[in-house]
Amino acid sequence: MFEGSIREVVRPDRILSYFEQEKAVLLVVTATGILYNLGMGAGPYFEGQLAQCLYDIFQGKAAAGDMVRLAALYVGVIFLVQLSRAGKRYSVRLFSNRVSRTMRHTLYHSLVRLDVRELQQENLGNLMTKAMGDVDACAEGMRKFTTEVFDTGVVMVVYLGLLLAYDWRLTLLACSFTPLAYWIANRLKKQVAQANGVYKATEARLNTLTLDRVSHALTYRIYGQESCRDAAYETQLTAYEKASARANIFEGALGPLYDAIAMAGTVVIFYFGARNVQGIGWEAWNIASFTTFLACFTKLAVKTSHAAKLFNAVQKAQVSWQRIKPLLQAAAPEGKNRLLGPVVPVTLEVRDLACHYPGQQEGLAGISFTARPGDIIGITGPVACGKSLLGKVFLEEVPWTGSILCNGTDFRTLDREQRRSLVSYLGHDPELLSTSIGENIALGDPVDVEKFLTMTNLKEEVAAMPQGADTPVGSEGTRLSGGQQARIALARTLAHARSVLVLDDPFAAVDRKGETKILEQMRQAFPDRVILLISHRLTHFPEFTGVLFLDQGWGSFGTHEELMQQEPGYARLVKLQQEGVDLDE
Amino acid sequence: MWESVKGTLRTHPRSGALVAVLVVLSVATSLLPPLVLERAVDSLTEGRGIPWQLAVLYLGLTVLSDCFETAQNGAITVFGQKVTHGLRSTLCAKLDRLPAGYFTGHPSGQTTSVFVNDGDTIDTLYSDGIVGMLADACKLLGILGILWSRSRGLFLILCFLLPLLFVLTRHFQKGTLAAQRENRRAIGRVNSHVPETIHNIRTIHSLGKEQYMEERYDTLITDSFRAINRANVFDGVYSPIILVTQAAVVAVIMVGAALGPAWADLFGLSVGSAVAVIAYVGKIFGPLESIGMEIQSIQSAMAGIQHIGEFLGEEEREPASAEPLPEDLEDKAVAFSHVTFGYDPAQPILKDFSCSLEPGEQAILMGPSGCGKSTLFKLLLGLYAPQQGTAALMGKRAGSLPEEEKRSLYGCVEQEFSPVPGTVADQVTLFDASVASDQVDRALELVGLKEAVDRLPQGKDTLMADGLFSQGELQLLNIARAVAKEPRLLLLDEITANLDSQTEERVLKALERAAQGRTVLSISHRFSRMMEGQRIIRMG
Repeated sequence: MFEGSIREVVRPDRILSYFEQEKAVLLVVTATGILYNLGMGAGPYFEGQLAQCLYDIFQGKAAAGDMVRLAALYVGVIFLVQLSRAGKRYSVRLFSNRVSRTMRHTLYHSLVRLDVRELQQENLGNLMTKAMGDVDACAEGMRKFTTEVFDTGVVMVVYLGLLLAYDWRLTLLACSFTPLAYWIANRLKKQVAQANGVYKATEARLNTLTLDRVSHALTYRIYGQESCRDAAYETQLTAYEKASARANIFEGALGPLYDAIAMAGTVVIFYFGARNVQGIGWEAWNIASFTTFLACFTKLAVKTSHAAKLFNAVQKAQVSWQRIKPLLQAAAPEGKNRLLGPVVPVTLEVRDLACHYPGQQEGLAGISFTARPGDIIGITGPVACGKSLLGKVFLEEVPWTGSILCNGTDFRTLDREQRRSLVSYLGHDPELLSTSIGENIALGDPVDVEKFLTMTNLKEEVAAMPQGADTPVGSEGTRLSGGQQARIALARTLAHARSVLVLDDPFAAVDRKGETKILEQMRQAFPDRVILLISHRLTHFPEFTGVLFLDQGWGSFGTHEELMQQEPGYARLVKLQQEGVDLDE
Repeated sequence: MWESVKGTLRTHPRSGALVAVLVVLSVATSLLPPLVLERAVDSLTEGRGIPWQLAVLYLGLTVLSDCFETAQNGAITVFGQKVTHGLRSTLCAKLDRLPAGYFTGHPSGQTTSVFVNDGDTIDTLYSDGIVGMLADACKLLGILGILWSRSRGLFLILCFLLPLLFVLTRHFQKGTLAAQRENRRAIGRVNSHVPETIHNIRTIHSLGKEQYMEERYDTLITDSFRAINRANVFDGVYSPIILVTQAAVVAVIMVGAALGPAWADLFGLSVGSAVAVIAYVGKIFGPLESIGMEIQSIQSAMAGIQHIGEFLGEEEREPASAEPLPEDLEDKAVAFSHVTFGYDPAQPILKDFSCSLEPGEQAILMGPSGCGKSTLFKLLLGLYAPQQGTAALMGKRAGSLPEEEKRSLYGCVEQEFSPVPGTVADQVTLFDASVASDQVDRALELVGLKEAVDRLPQGKDTLMADGLFSQGELQLLNIARAVAKEPRLLLLDEITANLDSQTEERVLKALERAAQGRTVLSISHRFSRMMEGQRIIRMG
């Protein structure tokens, strides 16, 4: 109902923007809210009139027909009032639901466009995850604020007006206890907050201890510490029991206490109200006035106790808002992805490239090579030689110097869209989404999934699964074997392959036979692409157009034969592998 | 469930009785004020004023009922906490008796949830469930009783209406619950989409899939939006329906009362009673709604009770055999004699395996993965018992070592270091008070971590945190933990962390120092240098 669609907010870092965006819903809230709250006085008023009418009937001043008319009117009015109430309750919730949806969307919109480096720094990712929880608190606070503007604000004015109209002196007298109740409640609130803080901290400690006791149960058993840990757990349980009882008792005491004080006004009403009815008080009252006044007063007393809750909710929402505001501010106005054009064959020239991980001194230097469409360049070196680092240069993720030319254009001058229309990258980590195999490969594009499953030697394996390509891969792909994950990631990258493919160790979890087959099919399918294949397995390096050997921060480029003669390090690696000593095994 | 409730009441009879008394008192006092009002109004209609005693009584009853309510809430809290405390102690004691296989077979999050979440449901079972229901039922019956005495007609109408309204209430509550559950599931998916995005951000950027991911996210938040919206419809409509019904009931009795003597048997009311009756009608639907919620609390607590029951019913480990060791094994540091063992007895990993180490001897277990190297360690540590044959260490049957002797007899460097919540020193002692402060220092010194630890703001009393130590240093801490009480036997499992060559060298040196002067049994390491000149035991 009234779902609407998700729209971008104009200025996401201003809370008013969200109110503005939901103008239509808020209009309904206002209309129904005012109607309902004006009608709130109707209940007590008519109930008083009903009692009065009954009295009049007994006195012979009215007939049963009057009562029927009055009762019908009463039900009719209550029906209308409650109808607006239903409208108000629903629309105000709709408002908060829509705001929460918009905020989540906006946060995500900025998250998904954040730089990898920014995400890794300052734990921004973690912050984002937490922010999603803050959205709820924020929208909830906005809802409560909107609700209470009517429910507390308007209704208090209505009730107070009604009371004042009946007898202003008595009203002032009876309501004089409310500030006292407020004052005491406020004094106690600090105590309550403090007890609650202690309780939450104790609870957190208990939960940490529980998780520790369970997850390290075997370590403690091996080291003979089980009974010692049990004793510590017992101590914490006792502390928790005490803190929790204290906090709950404080919190539970507040409401009734407040209620009791606010209700003190009833004594005054009984006394002076009765005098009014008897005609010896400040105003001339009938029974109806008395019961209406008393009922109104009771409801007002209850309402005012809610005003404190409103304050709390708004405060909580403010804290949440302060936390998410800077993140919303960061929301890039960047619009939809531009469509990538057709793949253009590219000649890649790398000259004197040097790079290093941010914050580290050592890295790679002196890397030069040229790759033409259709070339495969194998990149290798001993463990931790910087192979992956080189791959990340093409993601603009690490600082680099020197020059990279794509068909003569400086790589540095390209924007993100242009870079991505040239280079496709596959890292170590398969980075699978928790969806089906097919969807992981297609990613929403019209892709012939079968073709790429075949290319990565997955066709039979996937066909053997009960759901075929619709089989879910599980969270981070954990329902599949490592080799399957790696090949699905490869299939995905191939399905979206642009002019230059940078593949970081795609065959690490694939056996040799599979590797040979996949490489063969890739070469056939992509005769016009440049493939930079980072690998520690050298079986197919002799067939590649060129080899880049990285060792001790330096890169040497040549054909396999040239390097075998010039680079003893490379020759040793190749020899080791021919003897069957694979670095993995 | 009744069993569990009965058991609880038997263990805490006094708290239970106190709660019951307070419930009755708070309900009774909360029901009385309208009766005072009735008196007051009747006295008004008879042309007299309201005696001050009535006014004070009205306020007094209100205040009293508030006080009793406070006391009742307090008593329920204390009672619920006592029950959950006892329950958690029982659960914790059970941990000690569970076999090692339980811990490897059950994710620790799942077991922790039995302690934390299911434990909490027991608290809710009492505070929001059983006791609440008791109070609400008392209230409902009390009001019905009073109304019976004032207006038979109203009583009959309510007897007819209440069941209908109760069905309606349950329908709404069930619908809300279903929508809320669906929302929780949707929110779960929404929340896991965020870390997933962060994890996969390279792929998303490199393939230009920001828009695609955003659309997926929007689908998820729309699911949540719809579920919440459904709950909101129920929520928006329920209370207005109840209040309109309430108004209709009031209208009917007032008309009935106005009809005169012909209907007096059913609807006869004084003006005061009419006012009181209106007040009671306003109170009767509250408990009805609460009872519905309490049914729900009890239902969800049932699942918790079931989980707890299952956990407590888990099979327990058997004590090690008390038979004395065969004489020839007594003076060995480590001995396996004709051991046959498999996690599944039908598929033994070790078959009639025998070998032994003299005190002071150092040996390496070698063999392909899956041949049972780590299993041998687990048998020695007493985590599992061999199906046939004997495993023994330091002249005792494995698994029969008293807790307090374990650490001075053997130390075990586990595959992975798992930090415990506490200070750096706690990582070494594992909260063992019998490890002296200078023993911690010596252990840290031995593994070459002393300097790094001293550089921390509070030295070894610094709270352990992520990022305090590198991967390699964590391995060193792992070794320090094993040697803290200077054990005679050292078991070295294969370290699985990926270390660079420089760090590997540091860990290796620390292991060499730790091994000095001890009996050592290790599982083949990448640290090949360790193998020089040692006895090799081939397996598989």
